[in-house]
Amino acid sequence: MYYYIFESPKNSSERTYYERIRDIAREFSIAGEVTQSSPARSADELTQMGINKNYSTIVAIGSDEHVNKVASQIVLSNPPFPLAMGIISTDSKSMLHERWGFKKPEDACETLKYRKLERFDVGLIEPDRYFLTSARIECSKPSRITLEVDRWKAEAIIDRIEISGNLYILLERFLKEGSGLKAAFNWLVGKESIAADRSVFKAKIIRLSSQHPLPVMIGNEVVAKTPINIYRKLNALNIITKRDKVIQADAQGDRKLDS
Amino acid sequence: MKQQQVGTIVGSSVHLTGVIKDSSDITIFGSVEGEVSSEQKVIIEESAHVKGPIHAAEIIVSGSINGTISAKGKIELNPSGSVKGNIDATELLIHSGAIFIGKCTMPEKADSKVLHEDGEEFEAEDDVTKKPTASVMDDEEEENE
Repeated sequence: MYYYIFESPKNSSERTYYERIRDIAREFSIAGEVTQSSPARSADELTQMGINKNYSTIVAIGSDEHVNKVASQIVLSNPPFPLAMGIISTDSKSMLHERWGFKKPEDACETLKYRKLERFDVGLIEPDRYFLTSARIECSKPSRITLEVDRWKAEAIIDRIEISGNLYILLERFLKEGSGLKAAFNWLVGKESIAADRSVFKAKIIRLSSQHPLPVMIGNEVVAKTPINIYRKLNALNIITKRDKVIQADAQGDRKLDS
Repeated sequence: MKQQQVGTIVGSSVHLTGVIKDSSDITIFGSVEGEVSSEQKVIIEESAHVKGPIHAAEIIVSGSINGTISAKGKIELNPSGSVKGNIDATELLIHSGAIFIGKCTMPEKADSKVLHEDGEEFEAEDDVTKKPTASVMDDEEEENE
């Protein structure tokens, strides 16, 4: 049985989209209990309620922040039965949208109905915050950080850090390029005059510290402050993914190619 | 999210100490003190400084290295590259302007090659030494004539 957790809609078009999903889910015979997060009932609480009611599929519909809350609660509660998570990402600019964004509600419901499951790793920020997408630190001014990873230690001055659920680390330092004249020219032609110095690492365990405490964010929510320890939990979530498209060449087409 | 095959990149604002190992490529722009090891390619960019041994299938050096470097395949020293340490490689290409202070060892294999900058290949070390001798002989013969 399906248990839907909708994020509180931000505007009328989102509200309409949610209503369409509900209607089409009924047509696809995957209707279930529908809930919506609110200040009174957070996504975490709603997820726990769904697990307590033994629902085998929990579907999170909304932004990355909302989906991360649902994912975190599922991993944290460690249900004794196999549980699948469905995702419908509504934020077209988000990380999840590439994989779980749907042009039409019909596509979303079809994916949920056919239940192609894939296992995904999640990151854990101590003590108990799991994330599927990424955790990030954005500094207002360049900050010195120390990163201890597996068998090495790095010191760097950074403007931004992003750590994905499978513990890929991206460090970015933004550097202004060229003279004021060049910057003005770049502005006129619509080109950015900031170059980024990027570092990319992979890790199993990360310890991140800084001179001053820096806020660690998942979505728009501050979940911790440095120093932090981040771990990777392998194959922690069973997520319903889009089906692969099979292109079948018809016999006529084959004949054409042959000739 | 799913694992992608992205290599390791050490940016120019990073100072790293310890052992970096990766099955994919490693590109270094910053400074590293310790061992660097990859199953594929290691690229030491112009701004990079590495103090320690490097092991990889292929190594391209444009920055400076203080340590032994060994590759199963090719090692290439670009004009801005500098190596203070021994080199162990099957193929070695040193461009004009590069600095190399150390010993070079190449495995005794029939197919081991020394590549010159003009791209000319010599099959074995013996052939390389024979070639100038042959040209001297030709000159002497011309004089006698």
